Amino acid sequence: MGSVTGNFQSETLLHPAASAFLTEAFERGWADPDKRHAESQQAAILLNEAKEGIAGHLGIRRDQVEILSDPAIGYHLGISGLLREGSRLFYPANSRSEVFAIAEGISAQKLEVDSSGAAQSPVGELKDVLAWQAANAETGTIANPPDAFAGRIFVDATASGALLSLPDRWSTALWNSRAWQGPAGVGIFAIADRAIWRNPLPHFDQRVSSSDFSVPLTIASAIALDAFVADFNERRSEIRELNQEIRHFLHHEIGDVDIAGGIDTTLPQQLSFSFLYIDAEILVNELDRRGFAVDSGSACNSANMEPSHVLAAMGLLTHGNIRMTLHNGVKREDVIEFLKTLKVLIAEMRA
Amino acid sequence: MELDCRGMRCPLPIIKLATSLKESEEVILLSDDPATLPDLNAWARMTGNSYEVIATDKYLVKRL
Repeated sequence: MGSVTGNFQSETLLHPAASAFLTEAFERGWADPDKRHAESQQAAILLNEAKEGIAGHLGIRRDQVEILSDPAIGYHLGISGLLREGSRLFYPANSRSEVFAIAEGISAQKLEVDSSGAAQSPVGELKDVLAWQAANAETGTIANPPDAFAGRIFVDATASGALLSLPDRWSTALWNSRAWQGPAGVGIFAIADRAIWRNPLPHFDQRVSSSDFSVPLTIASAIALDAFVADFNERRSEIRELNQEIRHFLHHEIGDVDIAGGIDTTLPQQLSFSFLYIDAEILVNELDRRGFAVDSGSACNSANMEPSHVLAAMGLLTHGNIRMTLHNGVKREDVIEFLKTLKVLIAEMRA
Repeated sequence: MELDCRGMRCPLPIIKLATSLKESEEVILLSDDPATLPDLNAWARMTGNSYEVIATDKYLVKRL
């Protein structure tokens, strides 16, 4: 039952196709793809195929694929690599904390966002940079396209993965393998045009990123991406209907609930909602006792006791928050069971 | 009426506020929890009630 819900930011299950491959891959060991002997050549061919597959799903060229063993460094590579003397950075108020960290101490402007996830649309100048989120990691809301922006665009696709395509004009982009149930520790970074990008990290040569990443994890990520996209295409309408059903239940059977974004402006497999007058910590514990593992963005559940900056920036209720992911393996009966339990608990807690 | 929720954590100030508003049309809420301001904002949107910030950690809340 634990698979019904969960934190879609950090605890996605590894796709079965990827985990089957990994068990065998790690037993066998991998040669360095940069060396010349036969085993290395074999590793290089497989890695190349993986990059080819990843590029195809993400809508980029194979030679644009850079593998990052630490996806978070991609924010620095992608944003700082585009900044120049006199550049301003524009970023939505519901951006990830990595973006806030980069904005600290430089000329930057935070963009207001509304509860549907739509951010103010800046125009900027040619040398300015927009850190644009294709979809928001915490709520699943899909952003409006950055068409009006005159400057360079960094695309944070870590939450949307292969489900949303890149905007028409992008400069750098970042994905996290976890978005498609791939293994942790695999980020994909791409640069549209090398001429406008400068490596912000100390470096000796023209390489964009370190070659010190795991070959089997990268191949597993490519396998997961392939399988995830196939599963998703097959279940797209089913997931959407289930999402609609959950929204309907929350509004009509439970009530006083704040759901992030609408069905058409949110990733179909993700839901974030907050119950008025409910302590998320108690709710999460009660659900856990009944066999439902649920994550929350409420202050009571965070380490620093501060409310989620994302929920607050979007004007969404920060208490009583729950996040739900409709994984490929989730059955409708399980979701219904979960919703019924939720209804009883909320009624008891509000009494 | 004045409601002192200083030292309380979310969602307690909003729960107590809703209870107080049943008895009084206007409530002065004192709350130093960092979630109070964003939650008052969302609560007002959801319930139709209104609020204004009158000082740090001090809000005037009016029933719809």
